[in-house]
Amino acid sequence: MIFRFIALSAVGSLCLGGVALASAQEAEEATPRAPEQVYAETCGYCHGVNVGPIIRGRNLPPVITKSFVRMGPNSMPAFRQTEITDEELDALATWLEQSEADPEERGQ
Amino acid sequence: MSGLDRRTLLGAAGAIGAAAGFARTVNAQMADGQTAADVDAFMREMQSIVGEDWAFWNAEALRPYDKAYIPEPSDQLHPVGAVAPRTVEEVQAIVAAANRHRQPIWPISTGKNMGYGTAVPATPGQVVLDLKRMNRILEVDPDLGTALVEPGVTYQQLKDYLEENNIPLWIDVPTVGPLASPVGNTLDRGVGYTPYGEHFFFQCGMEVVLPDGQVMRTGMGSIKGSTAWQSFKWGYGPSVDGLFTQSNYGIVTKMGMWLMPEPPAYKPFMIRHPNMEDVPAIIEAMRPLRVSNLIANCNLMMSASYQLSMFQRRDSVVPNGAPLDDASVKRAAQANGLGMWNTYFALYGTDETVAAIEPIVRQVLTASGGEVLTEHEMGDNPWFHHHATLMKGGLNLDEIGMARWRGNGGGLAWFAPVAAAKGAEAERQTVLAREILDKHGFDYTAAYAIGWRDLHHIIALLFDRSDAEEERRADTCYREMVTRFGKQGWASYRTGVNTMDLVAQQYGAVNREFNAKIKQALDPNHIIAPGKSGIA
Ligand SMILES: Cc1cc2nc3c(=O)[nH]c(=O)nc-3n(C[C@H](O)[C@H](O)[C@H](O)COP(=O)(O)OP(=O)(O)OC[C@H]3O[C@@H](n4cnc5c(N)ncnc54)[C@H](O)[C@@H]3O)c2cc1C
Ligand code: HEC
Repeated sequence: MIFRFIALSAVGSLCLGGVALASAQEAEEATPRAPEQVYAETCGYCHGVNVGPIIRGRNLPPVITKSFVRMGPNSMPAFRQTEITDEELDALATWLEQSEADPEERGQ
Repeated sequence: MSGLDRRTLLGAAGAIGAAAGFARTVNAQMADGQTAADVDAFMREMQSIVGEDWAFWNAEALRPYDKAYIPEPSDQLHPVGAVAPRTVEEVQAIVAAANRHRQPIWPISTGKNMGYGTAVPATPGQVVLDLKRMNRILEVDPDLGTALVEPGVTYQQLKDYLEENNIPLWIDVPTVGPLASPVGNTLDRGVGYTPYGEHFFFQCGMEVVLPDGQVMRTGMGSIKGSTAWQSFKWGYGPSVDGLFTQSNYGIVTKMGMWLMPEPPAYKPFMIRHPNMEDVPAIIEAMRPLRVSNLIANCNLMMSASYQLSMFQRRDSVVPNGAPLDDASVKRAAQANGLGMWNTYFALYGTDETVAAIEPIVRQVLTASGGEVLTEHEMGDNPWFHHHATLMKGGLNLDEIGMARWRGNGGGLAWFAPVAAAKGAEAERQTVLAREILDKHGFDYTAAYAIGWRDLHHIIALLFDRSDAEEERRADTCYREMVTRFGKQGWASYRTGVNTMDLVAQQYGAVNREFNAKIKQALDPNHIIAPGKSGIA
């Protein structure tokens, strides 16, 4: 086994050049993320893996979801508008209401 | 099944009810000398700087800024507004306005300081300066293994970026990686679990908006044309980066950090010890391995009860109201493949270096009375899996489960006294912690983070925050721990916004005065985060 890091550095000037050095993210306001992505990046670390209750496939009313996300009752953290925008949260709440249960998920 | 059970409805009703109560509290608590009209005028100016969508001061919009896990029975600590800039220039404009209006502002990066106050400021009446929208990864240098990021960049975002660009560098995460940020965590001097776990060690270069609105770069950052901002920490003259950690001397708008090259070989281990009394033996065995760097990562030595609290509820171990006795904990631990102490570390390198070190550490740790276990024995044990993920900078939120250990949960305060890495000290700390927790009816859900030469005794005070009496008791218990540990020479490395003064006092009058003089010189209007680390 060899360090990928060393292999990369050794040929760095050939395959990467200045490209990776200059690698940086754009400054534009992010476009709203799809509900699936928000779920996977945030909710899915707890819901469905024994930390929080299963919330997919339960027809949860969007008003409940939105309230939980902004309030963070009990052990759940709250999420600010800067983390999940109102627009993203609306889409997420609707998507959750309509989502099917995922048999892979484990409830508490 | 109907989509909605009773608990959900009750929870939502609670959420809505609490929001109504919240409006009253917020309006009642202004900073000294401020009126509601002053805050209103300030927030209107904020709108003109960041746009209407990114300044919040009605109760509904402030709800997520007010979420806390810590005990705060006096119910005084609430923000009165929040403002979320997008650029350094906007931060400067906000600082200028704060000076003019004498309105204190409390900077957060991602605001997930859970168990230390989350986004809640340390004194009443502050406006949260929410930097989450400043979320660019400005540079990653794959050759040097360095990165320059803005405050709102989460660990998740950085990891995704490295993976998408096929850059063979690791990140190092606290156990709440997906939600938290390198900048916020490092500025509170947080820790993670790879060899780069002591985050402030691996910070290199900062950009700071000072309280007078000037932008300062530390280290090599102020040299035009320097390419070493993220590779040489010290620059010239006094080294000042530490002044901007756990402090209120400036607003960090960029931070450099070192990233560890992904090693070709990674092998996680767990050492299982059978008895509570094994504390000194474990630490005496680990210390030489850590000091010599044969074991290079920050180890977590987890008590069985801490581990159980992650995935189980207290009433599955002992009946409600009964004390958490060792025999019951041991039974539950054994049923889950755990010992009374479970110490996790990993070896990093090549197959050859790992093979050379493994026999040495096995010998030392076996002699301490522990069973040395690997993936081979532990398989998909959820606790082993959790730590094996953490020690390679992987993301999960498994530990949040702790916050529902008791009743409705939601109460968590970290008490984290420091000691030198000596077995005898840890033994005394464990005895003292258990005595105080027992007295107040709480559990010893604790771990030791074994650093290079130090111990952070990480005690999770878990309580039911929906029970007012229990919250009061937790507050009393926490303060007693701080005070009595302090008398033995063990003070906290970090604390919650509710106890910052208490801990600052322990570090002594000379140190406090020094901090106060710097504050007065840099921020004569005291507009940045008054109360942080006990600095007014
Ligand atoms: C179950 C659980 C496990 C945890 N495990 C760990 C762990 O392993 N290691 C660990 O370190 N912590 C841990 N924590 C505590 C905490 O959640 C993390 O430290 C988290 O990284 C802090 O939140 P953040 O990164 O969002 O920082 P923030 O909340 O954004 O910042 C923390 C503080 O730093 C200051 N600050 C932030 N940004 C700026 C800025 N730009 N300029 C000036 N000052 C600033 C402020 O005082 C702020 O309050 C844990 C918490 C829980 C509940
Ligand atoms: C850190 C873990 C965590 C994350 C991340 C998280 N939750 Fe939760 N959530 C919980 C816990 C724990 C509960 C149970 C709270 C309680 O005890 O009332 C919960 C409860 C809920 C409930 C009520 C369900 C019920 O049956 O009572 C909803 C709805 C919900 N969460 C939605 C979300 C959404 C949407 C997200 C993502 C934006 C999310 N949560 C992210 C931990 C989390």
